[in-house]
Amino acid sequence: MPKVSLTVNGKPVSVEVENRTLLVEMLREQLRLTGTHVGCDTSQCGACVVHVNGASVKSCTILAVQCEGTEVLTIEGLAAPDGTLHPMQEAFREYHALQCGFCTPGMVMSAIDLVQRNPQGLSDREIREGLEGNLCRCTGYHNIVRAIAAAQVVMHGKASELPRAAE
Amino acid sequence: MRMRKSAASTPARSAPGVIAVFTGADMAAEKIGVLPCSWQVKNKDGTPIAEPPHPVLAISKVRHVGDPVAVLVAETKPQARDAAERIASEWEVLPALASMEAALDAGAPLVHDEVPGNLCYDWHLGDEGAVDAAFAKACKVARLELFNNPLIPNAMEPRCAVGDYDAATGDYTLWTTSQNPHVIRLLKGAFVLNVPEHTLCVFAADVGGGFGSKIYHNAEEAIVTWAAGKLKRPVKWTADRTESFRSDMPGRDHVTQAKLALDDQGRFLALRVRTLANMGAYLSSFAPCVPPYLSATLLAGVYTTPAIYAELKAVFTNTGPVDAYRGAGRPEATLLLKRLVDIAAHEMGMDRVEIRRRNFIPKDACPYQTPAALQ
Ligand code: FES
Ligand code: FES
Repeated sequence: MPKVSLTVNGKPVSVEVENRTLLVEMLREQLRLTGTHVGCDTSQCGACVVHVNGASVKSCTILAVQCEGTEVLTIEGLAAPDGTLHPMQEAFREYHALQCGFCTPGMVMSAIDLVQRNPQGLSDREIREGLEGNLCRCTGYHNIVRAIAAAQVVMHGKASELPRAAE
Repeated sequence: MRMRKSAASTPARSAPGVIAVFTGADMAAEKIGVLPCSWQVKNKDGTPIAEPPHPVLAISKVRHVGDPVAVLVAETKPQARDAAERIASEWEVLPALASMEAALDAGAPLVHDEVPGNLCYDWHLGDEGAVDAAFAKACKVARLELFNNPLIPNAMEPRCAVGDYDAATGDYTLWTTSQNPHVIRLLKGAFVLNVPEHTLCVFAADVGGGFGSKIYHNAEEAIVTWAAGKLKRPVKWTADRTESFRSDMPGRDHVTQAKLALDDQGRFLALRVRTLANMGAYLSSFAPCVPPYLSATLLAGVYTTPAIYAELKAVFTNTGPVDAYRGAGRPEATLLLKRLVDIAAHEMGMDRVEIRRRNFIPKDACPYQTPAALQ
């Protein structure tokens, strides 16, 4: 069986995988990082999004062996070691951008990449378009869009604190 | 589809890691029974409904996408996946029925040869004469046609089952994601595996999301139990997402025409409802009871409508078996009634709240016998 060596959430790991092992299978079943979810097996839902070398990737749609030498970031690696949440996680909490939470890891990882790729800032419409690869069956998306709009302000250094949600 | 060449002679048997391949014919040869339907309904004329057999594995005809044709047991999941792709059966494509209207057409192909017209049953409830008389003197009739579409439960935690057999005692154990372990033990022992109930132990530990979709006796539960006995080894099955989409029982799937008779003050005089309810390709454990007993009997809602008549045809089609899901029938009745009352208010130029106020069952009239609820 091939061995793949990569960095996951800042830690170097080496894992024996099958040729066909998907990145998400390696993360969930071998590394036990079950924060990354599987909502489909058809590349549609986006619950499985992680970052590979900083770019958001559906981890069900890439083989583990393709990730040799890469840096993978999952939802578990986002918060600071002292537990301080990433501004996007904080914004999802503040804006109640989740109900069941199943789509949330993928939403958060996609949203961070979306914001990072757009330093000029995104309109609500652009946020909605940017999330077309992520499905949520609970929220109706409104609060997800609000959370991302708020988080981008902090992520681009335009405010030091997250704008609070209206009561 | 009709099976031309069975999976029995498949090259999958010799694939790496494969322990066994079983087909529907193998199970039938061992006198394994069919999945029973445990809640029956009677036709208008008092005759029993059509209950065609539901083999655990399809034998010669596959009736819906997701109808299982073979069981493959392998040492590891990847080996099982690989080998399953080599299950070589050949199929003749038969005409399929995707809608109830098409299934009821004269001359439609038959889902089950023994069920003429694809009609599972034809049921009714209420006083048709009283309803007709009320419509004859109504000032206003509000009408609604509603398609309550099928929905796929798709729990976050897919269904799974592990069977085990103790050769020393002859006892079977099943761990299953079931909302209904006692009934599953009864149905599986008495109707499917034909083994005494005291030799079966069923555990439902971590069930996951259910809302009805894990309340039926599913083929996989019987299969892993039986296969564990055959192989003298534990056998485990876990649905992947695609399997969940294809083989969890969907809910709803009613097509309904309704009309409400009102007087000039917006008081409800009578309700008449005609429903087609899809049963899918086979009768799942509780399917027949949902449209009549769990839906039609709720048609009075919270209103004093004095006369109600509901007619219902349950139909076989080539979709997956439909059964109870979240509220099971009651949301179908409630949605219908709410929509119909809104339409009546709108068409009469009345306020939606006021029209309801005029028709509520008064508090001091409770307990209240509606014309739809069974006594
Ligand atoms: S699990 Fe649905 S897109 Fe990856
Ligand atoms: S919060 Fe439930 S799927 Fe998005």
